[in-house]
Amino acid sequence: MNKTLIIGLGNPILTDDGVGVKVAREIEKLVNLEVHPDMTVTEASAGGLRLMEAVLDYQRVVLIDAYYLNPESTIPGKIHRLELEDLRSVSPTQHSTSAHDTSLVTALDAAQIMGFQIPEEYIIYAVEVENILEFSETPTPAVAAAIPQVADLIIKELSLSLR
Amino acid sequence: MERITIDPITRLEGHGKIEIFLNEEGNVKNAYLQIPELRGFEQFSIGRPAEEMPRITNRICGVCPEAHHMAATKALDALFGVEPSSAVKKLRELFYSSFYVTDHTVHFYALGGPDFVLGPDSDPAERNILGVIRKVGVDIGIQVIECRKRNHEVIKMLGGRGVHPVAGLPGGWSKSMTKEEHELILEYAKQNIDFALFSLKIFDDIVLANQAYVDLIVSDAFTHQTYYMGTVDEKNQINFYDGLIRVVGPDGAELVKYPAKDYAKHIAERVEPWSYLKFPYLKAVGWKGFVDGADSGVYCATPLSRLNAADGMATPKAQEHYERFYETLGSKKTNGRYAPVHHRLATHWARLIELLYAAERMQELAQDPEITDPDVRPVITSIPTEGIGSVEAPRGTLTHHYKTDENGILTDVNLIVGTTNNNAPIAMSIKKAAEGLIKNGEVSEGLLNQVEMAFRNYDPCMSCATHSLPGQMPLEIQIRDKDGKLVNRLSQYVDQP
Repeated sequence: MNKTLIIGLGNPILTDDGVGVKVAREIEKLVNLEVHPDMTVTEASAGGLRLMEAVLDYQRVVLIDAYYLNPESTIPGKIHRLELEDLRSVSPTQHSTSAHDTSLVTALDAAQIMGFQIPEEYIIYAVEVENILEFSETPTPAVAAAIPQVADLIIKELSLSLR
Repeated sequence: MERITIDPITRLEGHGKIEIFLNEEGNVKNAYLQIPELRGFEQFSIGRPAEEMPRITNRICGVCPEAHHMAATKALDALFGVEPSSAVKKLRELFYSSFYVTDHTVHFYALGGPDFVLGPDSDPAERNILGVIRKVGVDIGIQVIECRKRNHEVIKMLGGRGVHPVAGLPGGWSKSMTKEEHELILEYAKQNIDFALFSLKIFDDIVLANQAYVDLIVSDAFTHQTYYMGTVDEKNQINFYDGLIRVVGPDGAELVKYPAKDYAKHIAERVEPWSYLKFPYLKAVGWKGFVDGADSGVYCATPLSRLNAADGMATPKAQEHYERFYETLGSKKTNGRYAPVHHRLATHWARLIELLYAAERMQELAQDPEITDPDVRPVITSIPTEGIGSVEAPRGTLTHHYKTDENGILTDVNLIVGTTNNNAPIAMSIKKAAEGLIKNGEVSEGLLNQVEMAFRNYDPCMSCATHSLPGQMPLEIQIRDKDGKLVNRLSQYVDQP
């Protein structure tokens, strides 16, 4: 069985930071997971090693994260579809890089060297965010509007059955 | 005033940068670690039921949610006026010890260790866990991952959820330990002790056996004489979960020892015009600026500080290593206790001794017959008003302070997070490292590395302050003249597009 993990990253009480978590919750609400026994939907406020450890048993991983870019050029709510290679380059998403331990790609590289089976396929959705410095359970309007859109994109890409 | 900016810091949680201010002659005047401040936590919390705080505050931070969970739970004990039973205390401390094992492990192998394992002059792109594995071997990486895995399992079993625990209740813990869990934890604790001893052996072989590294540790560039804070038990031995907060001076003499609820009587916060950070200091000594010595109220709260503030470790193997630590670093015993070690880079070693203590403590608690007591949920009968709870977070003493109305609805919230305690010492360490390498506006090779090493030993966690790291961007120094014009720029990696 091709096990897939859909993992929303971020802090759900930090305005836009939790956009990934909210997309994951939306998917959980919409999708009939009973007909997808190979599919797990979860959330995490973690990066680096902890995130790598969370994805180890899966063949395919869908990461949803906040994308915090230069405030002058950012378009809040803009959705990006990225590959793992993009995280390796100069523009990682918010939680794929936890400087407290190590970045996700470094952690995955380390896991591979150590002989762990790492996922084969990575699907990454990143949403440009505006406010990640203020505590609130409510995202800014443009980011809030992106949540159902990202959920829909993932549901279509993975051909998930709705409830 | 000229200004140098190092932005952002690699390998530290959250977005931060280093600002170095130069004087007219081009020498270092001030330095600090700048952390964007998260706003509105107090407003977010006010109006909510206090008992939600262990589950809300553990969301502040993705690095040490367990520490916030525990400080919040202890604040609720005080708020609702219910003293936890000894079984509850033991269960919580067991959970907390397991968390310490994971946290200190990450720091040594992924963050601080690489500076030593690979050497302070190695390529920064290699100074990470990958580099450690390449140099020391795949087996070590596997041991690190296995250690984290088993302790995350314990955290999940006892805390009710992985990553963000939910078990803390006023005066209690939401679930007791099953027989199967107990057996597993006993086995895991034993493995943790072996792992801690193995880690100390690595430190011995790689760091202590290398005279150049030992010289670096004891060098003046990384030495500061300050006060030290840590929580101690009734024997003045380190305890992470509970006890009195003890502060000792640079000579090791006790300045104060107080219960967490009295924190405001002993700690004040200094505000500087050039930084929005608050710099806590000891009221009894007073603020004399960013300076060393017994007359300066600057204190430090780190693994090294905890060792210095205590008279010893409460477990046998950790005590052996504690004695060896002080003997090796040339500390003399007076009045039955070792004089403090002031070498900041020794914090990495102190952290491993704490790792061993946490593992041994976990085993002791797991072997305690009371640990499986099913009666861990007391009934609350009192009317709440105010409560303060504190624990030793890996990065320093963590205090939560709540006030509520008679219905338990929050009216006031104040948190002093671990890293905040160390704001002044971190600034001093960065300044000292920079002073050695910036003379009359000339910046020498190695500034980035030395400055990184100077603050990394504090393990500053900025995600209590923010999560806003845009990515692993290069460590960067910007040098500006006194008019703010950019005159020079240094960077470890290629520029961002």
